[in-house]
Amino acid sequence: MRFAAGVCAAVLTAMVSSIASAATYSADATSRLEFTGVQAGAPFKGVFHQFTAAVDFDPAALATARIEVTIDMNSVDSGDKDRDGTMRGADIFDVAHFPTAHYVTRSVTRTATGFSAVGALTLRGVTKDVPIEFKFAPGAAGAGLSGTAELKRLDFGVGRGDWKSTEWVADAVKIVFSLNLKPKT
Amino acid sequence: MPAQATRYSPLAQTFHWVIAGLIIVQFTLARLAEPLPLGVHKLAILARHKSVGMTILMLAVLRLLWRLRHRAPPLPPGMTRFERMAARGTHVAFYVLLFAMPLTGWTMSSAKNYSVSWFGLFTWPNLIGKNEAAFDFLRTTHDALSYVLFAVAVLHILAALKHHFWDRDDVLVRMLPFTKGARRS
Repeated sequence: MRFAAGVCAAVLTAMVSSIASAATYSADATSRLEFTGVQAGAPFKGVFHQFTAAVDFDPAALATARIEVTIDMNSVDSGDKDRDGTMRGADIFDVAHFPTAHYVTRSVTRTATGFSAVGALTLRGVTKDVPIEFKFAPGAAGAGLSGTAELKRLDFGVGRGDWKSTEWVADAVKIVFSLNLKPKT
Repeated sequence: MPAQATRYSPLAQTFHWVIAGLIIVQFTLARLAEPLPLGVHKLAILARHKSVGMTILMLAVLRLLWRLRHRAPPLPPGMTRFERMAARGTHVAFYVLLFAMPLTGWTMSSAKNYSVSWFGLFTWPNLIGKNEAAFDFLRTTHDALSYVLFAVAVLHILAALKHHFWDRDDVLVRMLPFTKGARRS
């Protein structure tokens, strides 16, 4: 009996300490996920209004760090409903078949100015590594995690038919994100 | 008092014919783009239309500055008061439209949240923020003004031909490059 209680206490202590070392957060509604593409020589900005992010991050324990984001591709908003409709269509995001995109990091390392991570992005059914650069700022009631990434849309088949051409829509797309992280309850 | 020139200078002729040529290009591109569905081809044609339009706007600024510092050759004697007013009105309408067409186009593109690029070399700032109602109004205005421009151009061409073949004066010839001196009547 005494032995069993001891084991229980040890397990509980281990669990509590593991939670403390790898804080578990989720992104709140003020978080933003933006992208900038170049169309006919002029940049245009879009956002995804709906996405969820689950983050395990402790700067002192990067080996267990993990950032996972799931994006509702239907929530794309580039400030023009015609363009949004085209992007949701079969030739671009094809949201009917690929309603979500998913990103999860595999490894996080410290850099001179913050952190960088390598993760797998699944977009339009294609999974490929995309690196991200970010900063982590712990606060009183959570943390801020903001950074950038760059990807090539054609790596994921985003743009079929005429949209495959990079003459009028550039291949490179910039991503900017700022997550306001709250401890998961 | 120096004698007033009887012919348009080579610079004035260049402004006239380059802008006239670009306006024909604009009508052609607009006609080509209109029936197309939203896609790469429409995007490409409209991108050129916008680049040419901004070129016309820049030329219009230079031409107006030039015009404010130089007098046009005098109208031939013998024109009635009505004819003089019609000639004056047509030329003023051209100057107004040379600004109104590109400015309504640029503003309408801004309202639709599509920034205007100049041949992919640089991007013009948006004149107004995203605004669907403003876009619809500006598009109607841009279309309507294009018909006005077409009508004024037809009037202008018919008048020039009338001067040349009916009145047998030098009104047409003095704007033609590679022709010499005043026409003997």
